[in-house]
Amino acid sequence: MTALAQPPARLLVRGAAFSGSGLPTLLLLPCLIWISFFFLLPLGLMCWRSLASEGFSLETYSVLFTSPLYTKVMVTTVRTAAIATIFALLLAYPLAYALTISGGKLRGLILVFVLIPYWVDIIVRSFSWLILLGDNGMVNKALVGLGIVSAPLQLLYTPFSVLLAMVQILLPLTTVTLFGAMLRIDRTLMAAAKIHGANEWQAFRTVFFPLSLPGVYGAGLLVFVLALGFYVTPALLGSPRETMIAQTIMVEASQLLDWPQASAAGAVLLLITTSIAAVYNRYFSLDRLWGGPDR
Amino acid sequence: MTEFVAAAKASGAELRLRQLTKAFGAAKAVDQISLDVPPGAFVSLLGPSGSGKTTTLNLIAGFLAPDSGDILLDQRSIADVPPHKRNIGMVFQSYSLFPHMTVADNVGFPLRMRTRLSREQARRRIDEMLALVQLGHLGNRYPRQLSGGQQQRVAMARALVSHPRLLLMDEPLGALDKKLREQMQVEIKRIHRSVGTTVIYVTHDQTEALTMSDLVVVMHQARVAQVGTPRVLYEAPASLFVADFLGDSNLLAAKVTRADGDEIVVEIGSGETIRATRGTRAAPEGSRVVVLIRPEDMSVATTPERGDGHDALTGRVKDISYHGDTFKLDVAVGEEVLKVKVGREHGAGMERGRQVFLRWKSAAARVLPAAELSNDAVDGDGR
Repeated sequence: MTALAQPPARLLVRGAAFSGSGLPTLLLLPCLIWISFFFLLPLGLMCWRSLASEGFSLETYSVLFTSPLYTKVMVTTVRTAAIATIFALLLAYPLAYALTISGGKLRGLILVFVLIPYWVDIIVRSFSWLILLGDNGMVNKALVGLGIVSAPLQLLYTPFSVLLAMVQILLPLTTVTLFGAMLRIDRTLMAAAKIHGANEWQAFRTVFFPLSLPGVYGAGLLVFVLALGFYVTPALLGSPRETMIAQTIMVEASQLLDWPQASAAGAVLLLITTSIAAVYNRYFSLDRLWGGPDR
Repeated sequence: MTEFVAAAKASGAELRLRQLTKAFGAAKAVDQISLDVPPGAFVSLLGPSGSGKTTTLNLIAGFLAPDSGDILLDQRSIADVPPHKRNIGMVFQSYSLFPHMTVADNVGFPLRMRTRLSREQARRRIDEMLALVQLGHLGNRYPRQLSGGQQQRVAMARALVSHPRLLLMDEPLGALDKKLREQMQVEIKRIHRSVGTTVIYVTHDQTEALTMSDLVVVMHQARVAQVGTPRVLYEAPASLFVADFLGDSNLLAAKVTRADGDEIVVEIGSGETIRATRGTRAAPEGSRVVVLIRPEDMSVATTPERGDGHDALTGRVKDISYHGDTFKLDVAVGEEVLKVKVGREHGAGMERGRQVFLRWKSAAARVLPAAELSNDAVDGDGR
């Protein structure tokens, strides 16, 4: 710390001297301790518990893969997450593109409107959908009042309400991730396309869009993994017949007190998400998409 | 457009800029620029950074809209035509090849956008272009698998494939090393000769502009400082800025003591008088001027010899440096230090502190107006 008060040249020299004695490792230590105690240790305990409740057995896992309940829950989870991801991407793409091509104040304004919902807690956002979509909610009142429907529609506690809320919750993150990826696309490429005969739409279709695809895959993956673990939203807005994996784990752990079973489900969810990340890394690396490693 | 593209070889277009002006906020990037580019000419826009040359190019390309003024391509105003309809080819500073397309697809891009050529015809055209830039065998590679020089050639091929009548080049060789740059200069000239397209070439490298161009447009502070052939610009610069920006120069503050037709006698700082040729502007007796003498026009001798039609000054060698083919000397004459460039045989005997006699043809000294002396033109960093 005292080194910080000294001129940069001395700092450099001291830094170099320290690097030999493992200063960087020392600096990482608090972070490593934190991660070990609050992340790796519980994770390890969870995996251990799933295997060794009464002696060592794979009983919990065989239940996971054979029971019709879990199969149904997994299918619902993956389907809901996938649909939510696709809609989030479809809505976020134009928004991110608008952010990319706009500049200055307009960009700042759009960004604020994208980010404000992001800073609002997930529970608050899910609850507001509860208010909007209820039988006496704003949407139904408007529909009935306008005479479009005679009786309130069942909007809440359906797959629709869950998807709607999930897409809304995932949208800011999707937009920001896509925006980051699009910013990295060299804009003079669009100029090059235009001067060589492409109109605005052709330049977008032949140059910008293909170059943005790695970003789309990246954002899609991130959002999909997040969507797999959604708990609050399906619990508040979903039908009890359409539960997702996180809800089931919660029921196992807090109501049935079957911790080994809950741990096993958690471990499987973890495995699935890490596998997706690994597969993405293997097949959708940016280099490959741009014709790199086929050399 | 299809009929035009079908023509075997495109000739060059005539380009005229009329009082073109573009400002960014309060700063004028291009101020009332007018320029006539004859069909098929190779014209360089040369100037220090911030002189407006890239803005001018972007206005011609259509990436920027002029605040006022007009751009005429073959007598037709294109100021309101969007870039993709101008039928212009362009080579960008960073090449801007499409990273997700192969070399052949990059080169074929303008054909897909601008023409209705069949796949077979397009492929023949692409092969022709790749052969022209000597990359026939690399069509299936991706840009990032190519060297800088190869990418440069692909960018040329893409810019020329649809036979545009105007080709814009934005510092295309800036990213290459010296050897490759010189090679590509020759290459670009060869391609220009074989396609005949009018070329507007932006550069801040004066050697590049002098060696490649038919006409050089020297730009300074958003305006055109001078337009001329490379020889005229170098040998008869119209202003201090141009004299200083192109090549090495000795610029001596002087006072006209006698003006008689084209030959003028001036008194320099040390009190000595020398003869000089009148430039483009009148230099009446008593006026303050600047005299330009190029370092390579002077010779150095250890014994005085004042021949007919020559002028001479006495000085002392202040510094000497060896450049392989030449020696460069700094010679102190009174308060001034003159740069002199001499061949190997003349420089070999020189040493610091030695008294020498500088000698040059009187006609090689030129009188320039002194008005600009105060601004940044003569600080020597313009190059």
